[in-house]
Amino acid sequence: MTVQLANVTKEFGQTTAVDDVSLTVQQGETLGLVGPSGCGKTTTLRTAAGFETPTDGTVSIGGTDVTHVPPERRSVGLVFQSYALFDNMSVRENVEFGLKMRDVAADERAARARELLELLDIAELADRDPTTLSGGQQQRVGLARALAIEPEVLLLDEPMTGLDAKLKTRLQEEIGALLDDLDVTALYVTHDQSEAMVMCDRIAVMNDGRVEQVGSPDEVYERPANEFVADFVGTSNRLPATARDGRLDFGYATTAAPNGHEGEVTVVARPEAFRVGDGPFEATVRERFYLGEHVRAVADLPDGESVTLRVDPAEAPAAGEQVSLALQTDRVHVLSES
Amino acid sequence: MTDPSRGEDGAQPSSRPRPDGGATVSGDGADAPGRPAGYGSVPDRRPGALSRVTARLGRTAITGLIAATVVFLIAPVVITVAASFAREWTGLFPSGGFTLENWKQALGLAQTLGAQRGLGSVSLSLLGLSVTIPFATLVFSMALALGGVAINLVVGVPIAYAVTRYDFYGQGWLNTVAVLPVVPGIILGIAFLRTYSHLPSAVALVIGYSLLKAPYMVLAVQSSFESMDLRQIEESARSLGASWPRTFLTVILPNAKRGIVSGAIVCWTLAAAEFNFSYIVYSRGPKPFSLFLFENISNNPFLRVAAAVSIYFCIVVAVTALLQATGQRGFSIGGAR
Repeated sequence: MTVQLANVTKEFGQTTAVDDVSLTVQQGETLGLVGPSGCGKTTTLRTAAGFETPTDGTVSIGGTDVTHVPPERRSVGLVFQSYALFDNMSVRENVEFGLKMRDVAADERAARARELLELLDIAELADRDPTTLSGGQQQRVGLARALAIEPEVLLLDEPMTGLDAKLKTRLQEEIGALLDDLDVTALYVTHDQSEAMVMCDRIAVMNDGRVEQVGSPDEVYERPANEFVADFVGTSNRLPATARDGRLDFGYATTAAPNGHEGEVTVVARPEAFRVGDGPFEATVRERFYLGEHVRAVADLPDGESVTLRVDPAEAPAAGEQVSLALQTDRVHVLSES
Repeated sequence: MTDPSRGEDGAQPSSRPRPDGGATVSGDGADAPGRPAGYGSVPDRRPGALSRVTARLGRTAITGLIAATVVFLIAPVVITVAASFAREWTGLFPSGGFTLENWKQALGLAQTLGAQRGLGSVSLSLLGLSVTIPFATLVFSMALALGGVAINLVVGVPIAYAVTRYDFYGQGWLNTVAVLPVVPGIILGIAFLRTYSHLPSAVALVIGYSLLKAPYMVLAVQSSFESMDLRQIEESARSLGASWPRTFLTVILPNAKRGIVSGAIVCWTLAAAEFNFSYIVYSRGPKPFSLFLFENISNNPFLRVAAAVSIYFCIVVAVTALLQATGQRGFSIGGAR
């Protein structure tokens, strides 16, 4: 089912939480909503679920306008950061709850619950009390419960935020694959842009109630629409420059410009766009962090700006060392000043 | 055999902080580059004599203290119950052997002058038939307190829910009013007499009990609600297709079970023992329990008092157990169980 938000605005008194947001989640697609806290991503999700009625605009699921349909009649599955399991019921009863509300016969409910618990690899926990489970297990139960009703759309609100890093990575891969297999249409809210990149087919970056950019993970990372997106998604170096005659002039150095920009521009260069060795940028390494698979270094440029570099440990300069940096023109993105 | 405390002290003297409190880090502490001036001047903590003693004896001391407190609190109960079965009590210990006479008198079963004051059976003449209901008064007075609890459940639980779950105008006030023990029983009693002078005693008592004890219900239930993520639990249930009333009955209430049961127990116990309000408001009809206790206590020998108090203990224990048991079973109104 396609989910469509058209010009949705949500105001709480004087505050505009969501400001004229239009988004379409295609059938089978996972769309990530990312942004800093307070950017309106959760309100957008709650509007899609039916817990908030938009001040303006419409919500439709599968082409039907559901703007004023209450959540229990919308066929949406919800997964929360706090898991929100029903502690008065066993794991199996939690999974069966939605089916019971739909008056599905007991044996059919049991069969469906078993199937989902197996799918999520927690069949052995069926008779346990949710409070005795670990965070990762609880989240699997939460997901099984939401999937049990075969929702037209699955809404996930920061589902991995409470989990430790290693478990998070494993669950991201597992659940990402599961959502693909089941061909579920999903809206995935997270403040963690790297999680969105793993889990989502497309990402909508929100700020201040507005959608700043919608695109695939590589589009958003490599060709950010503006400085906010460049800054929020991944680490970025943003350097002011003047584009003239196919070259970028930084004042202390020049390089070739990637495409036809003219005038004052901001150059977005990811840490991996710099190469240490022979190049026009003279810089002094100020700090150096060994991270195992790579070294992150912060270097000062002649004009006082600093850049973050990502270097192979074998070639990493030491702190205090003078280095020459080359900028790989095909890996930078230029934003014209507006 | 080595003394463990000596061995511990003597084993690795070099790893101990210096007794003069000086820094164990050598030399460069204060002058090291990048450190703020005076770094390293904070002396290591040296446990004082008292903390050394408590470290060694702490557990024993606390266990002993708790045991003494428990004995101190339980002893009167044990002595009272024992006395209620005694024929005589003149010295330090009860004497004269075992008897049920005190209980009989307190319950109004004995053919004595105290009978009409006790909680004995009530005889009704109905259609020419005389029916005797044993302990009717006792049951009735327990029901008065239970009535207060019932009102608190119906009114207090939704208030606790609303205050925890929603933000609304006047929320702070509602919360304050609901959890403040508004007025002492004696003042509420006088106010009731003035305002509702025609209300039957029983009705006035039930309403008064619910008003006086409401804070205990609201607080207990509120703390249960606060320990769960009410909004997300509720929204999960609704997204799964449960209507709001069904969500409230099958998910929200059962999850607050602990608070509801403990709130009900506290409310009942306190309502049953509420004397001031009962004394002012009661005029006729079956007596509230606290008045039964009072009359048995005020002008009777100690052994009879002991029996009355023991009856009260028994009833409190029985009702508490009953409420607990109801709480264990009775929370699956149409739920998934």
